[in-house]
Amino acid sequence: MSSVTLKNVYKIYDGGVVAVTDFCLEIEDKEFIILVGPSGCGKSTTLRMIAGLEEINKGELYIGDVLANDIPPKDRDIAMVFQSYALYPHMTVYDNMAFGLKLRKTPKDEIKRRVEEAARILDISHLLDRKPKALSGGQRQRVALGRAIVRDPKVFLLDEPLSNLDAKLRAQMRTELAKLHKKLGTTFIYVTHDQTEAMTMGDRIVVMKDGFIQQVDTPQKLYDAPANEFVAGFMGSPQMNFIDATIGKKGNTFTVDFGNASVEIPADKAAGASVDLNTYVGKEVIFGIRPEDVHDEPEMIEKWASAKVTAEVEVTELMGAEIYLYLNCEGNAVTARVDPASKSKSGDTVTVAFKMSRMHLFDKETEVAILN
Amino acid sequence: MSNRMFQSVIHQMQDSVERTIGIVDETSTVIACSDLNKIGEVCENVSLESFLTQPSLISENTTYRPFGANGRAEYIVFVSGNDREAEKTAGLLSVSLSNIKQYYDEKYDKGNFVKNVILDNILSGDIYLKSRELHFNSEVQRVCMLIKLANKTDISVLDVIQNLFPDKNKDFVINISETDIALVKEVKTQLEAKNIEKLAASIVDTLSGEFYIHCTIGIGTVVTGIRDLARSFKEAQIAIDVGRVFDAEKNIVKYNSLGIARLIYQLPTTLCDIFLKEVFKQGSIESLDHETLFTIQKFFENSLNVSETSRKLFVHRNTLVYRLEKIKKLTGLDLREFDDAVVFKVALMVKKYLSSNYKKF
Repeated sequence: MSSVTLKNVYKIYDGGVVAVTDFCLEIEDKEFIILVGPSGCGKSTTLRMIAGLEEINKGELYIGDVLANDIPPKDRDIAMVFQSYALYPHMTVYDNMAFGLKLRKTPKDEIKRRVEEAARILDISHLLDRKPKALSGGQRQRVALGRAIVRDPKVFLLDEPLSNLDAKLRAQMRTELAKLHKKLGTTFIYVTHDQTEAMTMGDRIVVMKDGFIQQVDTPQKLYDAPANEFVAGFMGSPQMNFIDATIGKKGNTFTVDFGNASVEIPADKAAGASVDLNTYVGKEVIFGIRPEDVHDEPEMIEKWASAKVTAEVEVTELMGAEIYLYLNCEGNAVTARVDPASKSKSGDTVTVAFKMSRMHLFDKETEVAILN
Repeated sequence: MSNRMFQSVIHQMQDSVERTIGIVDETSTVIACSDLNKIGEVCENVSLESFLTQPSLISENTTYRPFGANGRAEYIVFVSGNDREAEKTAGLLSVSLSNIKQYYDEKYDKGNFVKNVILDNILSGDIYLKSRELHFNSEVQRVCMLIKLANKTDISVLDVIQNLFPDKNKDFVINISETDIALVKEVKTQLEAKNIEKLAASIVDTLSGEFYIHCTIGIGTVVTGIRDLARSFKEAQIAIDVGRVFDAEKNIVKYNSLGIARLIYQLPTTLCDIFLKEVFKQGSIESLDHETLFTIQKFFENSLNVSETSRKLFVHRNTLVYRLEKIKKLTGLDLREFDDAVVFKVALMVKKYLSSNYKKF
């Protein structure tokens, strides 16, 4: 068990490509932390630097209290599971899990003990005599995890380990991994580009883009109070609606104006802005509202009467438990996630209301959140 | 080595040894013997494991001794009798049969043959003769990969890769040097050809995930016919060399994806020097700092789109325009113009090539 600390870490490849810039993060012992971001954002590079597979050009990495920059990967007491794991096709599950230990000349009794223990944790004891061909995708994935567990490491590094699985199995393995983390009580650092994985599994999430950390926080806080437009758009599916708007003021009430529409910002919400909203009056901003905060139910329209607009329904998608309405609202594409009882159909002109207590505003130039 | 070959050797030896002699395989079954009636019998008291602690074994008035190529115990030779002479004879037969086995393996080892082919150690006329002799299917599609380890390691990477590709008739894992391993992989379908990169990724991930070994893999083109294997191997080598200069951040480099880098890599360095001097005013490329080079890289990555690049760089559009103007002033090249951008991109790659200290001409 161990904490991991990265202080002002940089990765610059020969030729000047900067993959990671000024990465600062403290990962607590036994924490399940997720690095998430689009491909090429530097999350895998960061993980590989922690593993020691990539050199750290600048900055410091501590595993526990020990400066680990120059410690060889094999001595860092970490285990890794990658996306493209390969099992040895002619070996049994037992041998697959034991192979790495055998090559490291671990005593036979010790190998047996560790493999059987890992198999018990992963609930694959009954599969130890099978060959990979006779396993399902999920079982193979567990064997790959087993190969890491037998090393009994302080820290687990997982680089998109579920991306080769189909959607159903991925959802199942997400839960299994979360359970495994609890069982092992070890620090997990998990890399993914899938925001659903990030939201459902981690204690904390690190959102990255172009080698920079955008925000580090708990899943709920990231969702409710994104630091900038990128985080707001990246976390959540369907993604947050963004509308180019202008801040207005009617008496003491601030408004968000776009097209012919004007919606009011509740006074208590406006009071929570990170800047004085008066300085933004007349300026262009980005208005953000999540699909579940766009309502077509009469009672909500009545409740948020100061934030209702008319929109044309372009497409509807029934998802079972909810309906997605794809709306054209004053020339802006807006997605609404509404109750399946909704009567709205393609081509209808409907009135929708924004739940303004959940609105977001971003600076148009810097894209930084000014109101969450 | 077939049982018939062993029987032939035993048959030739039996006149010189006035005892019953024979060979037992790893399943303890007699596969060759001077007494033909014994062939097929199982020696239950004898197995290869019996020799882990002793050089020879005497059981039921017979002396047994293991043998095999490269010092490995693969078979057991036996001589009737439990006296000193039987032990000496078994020892002599063991040495002799080990050498025969080793010679046979080397001569008829497909892996050795493939190694000679990819390293151009065999005359082209002999390739087809030898492949027929070895029943080697020379007309299937294959691809060569070169796995280059970043450092020497205690772990036998050859063993790891051989275990990932255990079919020794289709896939060949060849030790080239302490840090280089070649993989010649049979590629059956078009689909498999598309998955070669995934396969390489699984090797990289297995080596780094399981054994903390950092490696780079160069992939040659898929070839049909054994003669072209040498070309595929050379391409894999070039992919690694070129990738090291132009795509240092990549672990897997495909020869087919090298693009313009392959062309620049072929240029004489003297010509590259002249090109850089002609394109840039004296010292101007050196005057670009790290931040400016990063800006240029992002500008190219975003298809010369000022708005998109400024967003990616978290800077105001005007800041980016100012930086581009500064670059224009320093180098005389306006990166917003396609032609100038192409010249600059090529020049940057040429500079990378020169600064990699690669001296060819």
